[in-house]
Amino acid sequence: MNLFELILKQMRQRMLSTVLTCLSILLGMALATSVGIVSREGKSVFAQTDYGFDTLVGPKGSPLQLVLNTIFHIDASPGNIPYRLYEDMATQRPTSADGKPNPFRGLVKWAVPMAVGDSYQGRRIVATTPQLFGVGDQGEALPADKVPTYGGGRAYTFAQGRAFAPNKFEAVIGPEVAKATGLTIGSTFHATHGLPGPNDVPDVHAETWTVVGILNETHTANDRVLFIPLITFYAIFEHESGLEQINQIQQQAGAAGSPPTASAPATKTPAAPEEPEEKAYTLNPDGTITVKLPKDQWEISAILVKSESAATSFQLSFILRNLPEAIGVSPANVMETFFDTFMPKIAMLMLVISTLVTVVAAVSILVSIYNSVAARNREIAIMRALGATKGRILAAVCLEAGLIGLAGGVIGILMGHAFAWAGSIFLQRLLSTGLPWWHFASGELLYLPVVIAVSLLAGLVPALKAYKTPVAENLVG
Amino acid sequence: MLGVRNLLKTFAAPDGSERVRVVDVPAFALGTGEMVALLGSSGSGKTTLLHLLAGILAAESGEVVYAVGGKSQDIARFSEAERDHFRGQHIGYIFQTHHLLPGLTALENVLLGMSFTGRRADRSWATHLLERVGLSHRLEYKPGKLSLGQQQRVAVARALANRPGLVLADEPTGSLDAASAQQTLDLILSLCREAGAGLILVTHDLAIARQLPRQLQLTEINRAAAPAKGAG
Repeated sequence: MNLFELILKQMRQRMLSTVLTCLSILLGMALATSVGIVSREGKSVFAQTDYGFDTLVGPKGSPLQLVLNTIFHIDASPGNIPYRLYEDMATQRPTSADGKPNPFRGLVKWAVPMAVGDSYQGRRIVATTPQLFGVGDQGEALPADKVPTYGGGRAYTFAQGRAFAPNKFEAVIGPEVAKATGLTIGSTFHATHGLPGPNDVPDVHAETWTVVGILNETHTANDRVLFIPLITFYAIFEHESGLEQINQIQQQAGAAGSPPTASAPATKTPAAPEEPEEKAYTLNPDGTITVKLPKDQWEISAILVKSESAATSFQLSFILRNLPEAIGVSPANVMETFFDTFMPKIAMLMLVISTLVTVVAAVSILVSIYNSVAARNREIAIMRALGATKGRILAAVCLEAGLIGLAGGVIGILMGHAFAWAGSIFLQRLLSTGLPWWHFASGELLYLPVVIAVSLLAGLVPALKAYKTPVAENLVG
Repeated sequence: MLGVRNLLKTFAAPDGSERVRVVDVPAFALGTGEMVALLGSSGSGKTTLLHLLAGILAAESGEVVYAVGGKSQDIARFSEAERDHFRGQHIGYIFQTHHLLPGLTALENVLLGMSFTGRRADRSWATHLLERVGLSHRLEYKPGKLSLGQQQRVAVARALANRPGLVLADEPTGSLDAASAQQTLDLILSLCREAGAGLILVTHDLAIARQLPRQLQLTEINRAAAPAKGAG
């Protein structure tokens, strides 16, 4: 029996107290570790620099909201912008619809529009063009430099089926949508207006889309999205009538009227899809549709823009900054600013909390071992009588505290990664991208000796009490 | 083996007005392997004297000289840590009550006595000692599962674990019934003889004292124990 075995035996004797003390250390350590992982790895997930495009165009307002809504499909859409902006960028026509020179000519490699505001079974629906999937309006494959990517030069690919036609009620769904909703090729669905809460009556649109393609995993938020043709978005009766109303209001208020802030206005309808008396489109013999809403009234939520070069990207941003109805932001810059602004403060706050938890844990070590020492005066005296020196007794008590710190610290690190794993699952569900929760950082291993040192320090108080235990007095009786 | 000269220990009176002498031994000697019974009434300073001889307490003055390995060592001049170390290596101590650690088994309690010497714990020797005290079938029993007599026999085995030159026994049979007391005493005597260890056994029981080769009244060696002094 050596000193170490003796300490382990004594810790086992006071199992409940030891475990509870260990638990308090563990919680502090787990909190610090998980905060470290989230602030370290979260930035790499959210503040990626390569989104496949460089400029995100949207309504004037919060750039962060625009990025969160368009790229991560969270938060509400900040509003709409005129469709003609997209046309100017995508067609590179010499003059804009208003007859003025197209300011974006020569600046844009490709542009993809996005309109949001509907959902299906809690998954967001994004209206766009087939170009997002590298397909032209006639179904032709686009030149490589015109194919949008979602980062790392990777283009969207199909696990099953194909891209939708630009003017049919067809849909392409992300792999997680397929898994979660059971939609497959040939399945049909109705869009629900907005993203109703659990207690809301869903406003289901009458139009029916047919799934024609299922994407391969991209590990981006797009895995959780249903894509529909932009034209079909305007074919939704409520959208068409809503946009018409907005246009009337704008005309009445004069050209100075601010753009609408709602994504897609709609009238309240019963839960079940109801065929409107008048449709917002006409069905052509070839199965395509023609929407009734004039193009000049079309609005979209955002445009993903790939500039011709870094220089034209700056030029584009400058032009957009001077437009009354839109802004252009770099998603990488927006997310980096967000993280640099908020994450250090949040991380600092969490670190302060975890430090406090660790200090409280250290105090609990102190109290627990102090009480145990007070109750073990006779045992300490017996050991002294058997030849244990004061220094050995002091070391034994400190070692016990250190062991509690070590055990709590090591399990706490593992628990912190387990917390991060749980957070990763949550993020995976929310954004289709998780955290690399298994990554160990040197900072975590630096925190461990600090926790052990704090534990040893906490053990020093009861250790000194044990050190001073009078032997003769405690042996009598 | 042991020589004591002018050993003095005082304690403060409860009211703090004076120092009360508890141990005042002008001279006392014990040969190697010699066994002696110290007879004294309750409060006569028997335990304090043993604590001084073991180095558990520090004397105010005097010498406590041990002849170990051909060298004389005055532990009264030792630091507390040196006394602890010396005690662990050369002195076995048996308390009136067993003073076993409740969380350890009988075998672990004996091994514990070895763990503070700096030497490697000798498990087979510990097992042998427990066999000798008739507890080979109770090696893994914790003290709570043993009778008082069995507990004291474990304490006897523990005292001899480090092959000490001297065993100090403080009323080792005081808390036992007559049969257990006799059995324990027999074991102490035979094990000390086998090990060649000296023995100082303090008791107030004349019948117990008579079983040792030499008996001394505490008053013969401790002037502070004289009834007239009123010391305790």
